[in-house]
Amino acid sequence: MNLSYSDEQNMLREQVLKFCESDYTFDVREKIVESNYGHNPETWKQFADLGWLAVPFSEENGGFNFGPIELAVIFEEFGKALVAEPYLANVVMSGSVLESSSNGLAKQTISKIIDGTTQVSVAFSEASNGYNFHDIESSVNDGKLNGVKTVVLNASFANSFLVYAKNGHKPVIYLVDAKAAGVSVNSFSTVDGQNCGDVTFESVEVDESLIISHDNDASQAINAMLDLANLCICAEAVGGMTASYLKTVQYTKEREQFGQPISNFQVLQHKMVDMFMEAEVSKSLLFKAMLQLDGKDEEASKTVSGLKAQIGKSSRQVGQAAVQLHGGMGVSDEMSIGHYLKRFTVIDALFGNRNYHLNNFSNL
Amino acid sequence: MDINFSDADNQFRQEVKDYLENKYPKHVKEKQNNGEQLTKQDMIDYHKSLYEQGWAGYNWPVEYGGTGWSPTQIYIFQEELGYANTPTILPFGLNMVGPVIYTFGNEEQKKKFLPDILEFNTWWCQGYSEPGSGSDLASLKTKAVRDGDHYIVNGSKTWTTLAQNADWIFCLVRTETTQKKQEGISFLLIDMKTEGIEVKPIITIDGDHEVNSVFFTDVKVPVENLIGEEGKGWTYAKFLLAHERFGIAGVPNQKYSLKLLKERTKDFADNDLKMKIADYEIELSALEFTELRTLAALANGGHPGAESSIIKIKGTELQQRLTEMYVEAAGQYILPYEGPEGFNSNNTPASNVSDFSSQAVSRYLNFRKTSIYGGSNEIQKNIIAKAILGV
Repeated sequence: MNLSYSDEQNMLREQVLKFCESDYTFDVREKIVESNYGHNPETWKQFADLGWLAVPFSEENGGFNFGPIELAVIFEEFGKALVAEPYLANVVMSGSVLESSSNGLAKQTISKIIDGTTQVSVAFSEASNGYNFHDIESSVNDGKLNGVKTVVLNASFANSFLVYAKNGHKPVIYLVDAKAAGVSVNSFSTVDGQNCGDVTFESVEVDESLIISHDNDASQAINAMLDLANLCICAEAVGGMTASYLKTVQYTKEREQFGQPISNFQVLQHKMVDMFMEAEVSKSLLFKAMLQLDGKDEEASKTVSGLKAQIGKSSRQVGQAAVQLHGGMGVSDEMSIGHYLKRFTVIDALFGNRNYHLNNFSNL
Repeated sequence: MDINFSDADNQFRQEVKDYLENKYPKHVKEKQNNGEQLTKQDMIDYHKSLYEQGWAGYNWPVEYGGTGWSPTQIYIFQEELGYANTPTILPFGLNMVGPVIYTFGNEEQKKKFLPDILEFNTWWCQGYSEPGSGSDLASLKTKAVRDGDHYIVNGSKTWTTLAQNADWIFCLVRTETTQKKQEGISFLLIDMKTEGIEVKPIITIDGDHEVNSVFFTDVKVPVENLIGEEGKGWTYAKFLLAHERFGIAGVPNQKYSLKLLKERTKDFADNDLKMKIADYEIELSALEFTELRTLAALANGGHPGAESSIIKIKGTELQQRLTEMYVEAAGQYILPYEGPEGFNSNNTPASNVSDFSSQAVSRYLNFRKTSIYGGSNEIQKNIIAKAILGV
């Protein structure tokens, strides 16, 4: 057992941290969010140049063959800086599904993701299924795909979709071009300034060459994607919680009331200690989950569920306390602090919220 | 970074299992598993069996007779002991005064005290709190006045755990009245058989006799029993508290109790309780990894500092939550009071859950102490606020 990051992992963290500090300040981020759903093609190009879009892919697919630990490192730093670029949708989610495929089309698509020339979103959730993502109605009959997928992340920018559907009774994942006849996207800004959409597939022609994964492999690919995506957004939340308590400590040291910095008041001190502790224990559980995922431990899925449940509780507490201790400034859109709370709220809602995962953990 | 145990680690785990199978005293095991109270002799037998195995100093350096184990080995050792429901290793000698003596004591003191601590020939207790000095520990008033080759000690200590069994007590005493109250404190080792010491029981709300008041009237203590320098006791006291907080969370024991609770509630229809147990289990594993992270930092040359405060706060909160869930699970069967001596066979209550319900309330009440002792959880938060957050 070894709980220290390797030199390589520390260097990666340093690189992401430096980028965020110099090129991704809160002001820059706000401009990107306001103008283009949080996605800036130039920033994306920088990610590609830095090699970040290649992180989780195998060497034979042109990647760095890094795993959950390195992704967690990146997301923790992203979480601190509130990075809104569609890294999760493309590199983590689509990346995970494509990487598990033996179809040559998957390999080609991966190389375009890596060089930043294409974007791909996984279209899996449906209006009727809540968090029961395998309970799907989208189907393929006589070579035609019909169905509506909801809350597809980054739908506006996706050049293609990985669509989870049924062919007869068997689950299949198809890669469908966003411009194919019969595909329409109704997109929204998300509450935290990114982008998602409902994607309708109406008699879209698909053939066997577009099958990325099928049968048990397809449902396994969705499960593996969900575990990895949950791990990444939990790492992001840990970074966000760390930033939230640090910014709150700083703010209370500067803010004076009753003739003194409000950080002198014990009530506030203890609340900040609670924030700190929630961030730390969440981080500890993140360690367990990422190490188990990395080691393909059979308990990994259960631990990720536990982590997601923990993060749902801890990040809500930290986010709310951060806003509370900033007083009126905490609810002002111009301050970054409230944006962490927004992001925590979105993170909890994604891929099964706290209640869902608490039940799941209990039943596994 | 990886979570796997090496072959050597797995072999070590087997050694611990072998000890538990063959050398862990049978009479202690039986009483533990039946939830019976252990006698002083039981505790001594258990500790001596660890000593004979060479494991008493499981977290001590080799040069003082310790095992010199890696953090991973300590983790495995504690985990296996927890799963086997062994008694808690008494911390007063091994985790408290022992490390103080080998860190700050002189050669004679090391020679005189350390072997007996390891071999459990001496039972130690802790003389910190006083009736007027709890969280404000540095305000303590027990006085030690130098008189030739002796200190004359007058005053009283309280909440002294198992003082009724103790051979020695380590005390914080005031050797000087100074402007800054921390500066006049010294660290003194006192033989409990010395004339002028009186121990009186304090019965806690669970009905048990665990803690005591200890009174000192003109107690003569040889000056060679002073640890380190006169007036530097506060430094040693803080060092000890940081060590004490470590392992205070009792994660392995909690894992064992959780396992029992889950077994006994698996057919319950109470979904609320199920969710509480799930939430608790998740938090416990977060705490376990917090401890592991701290151990890893220690192995890389760090010291247990303010981070150990997190473990104290979170660990004791979880211990208390666990006892609450036991009470909830037992329902109305918590009512029959077993008392420290146990039910006598003629009036044992009939109920299918009596095997744990009878102790549920006692434990629940007893464990209120955990957020109070070792520096109350509010004091721990003050420590974190100051040392880590810098406010």
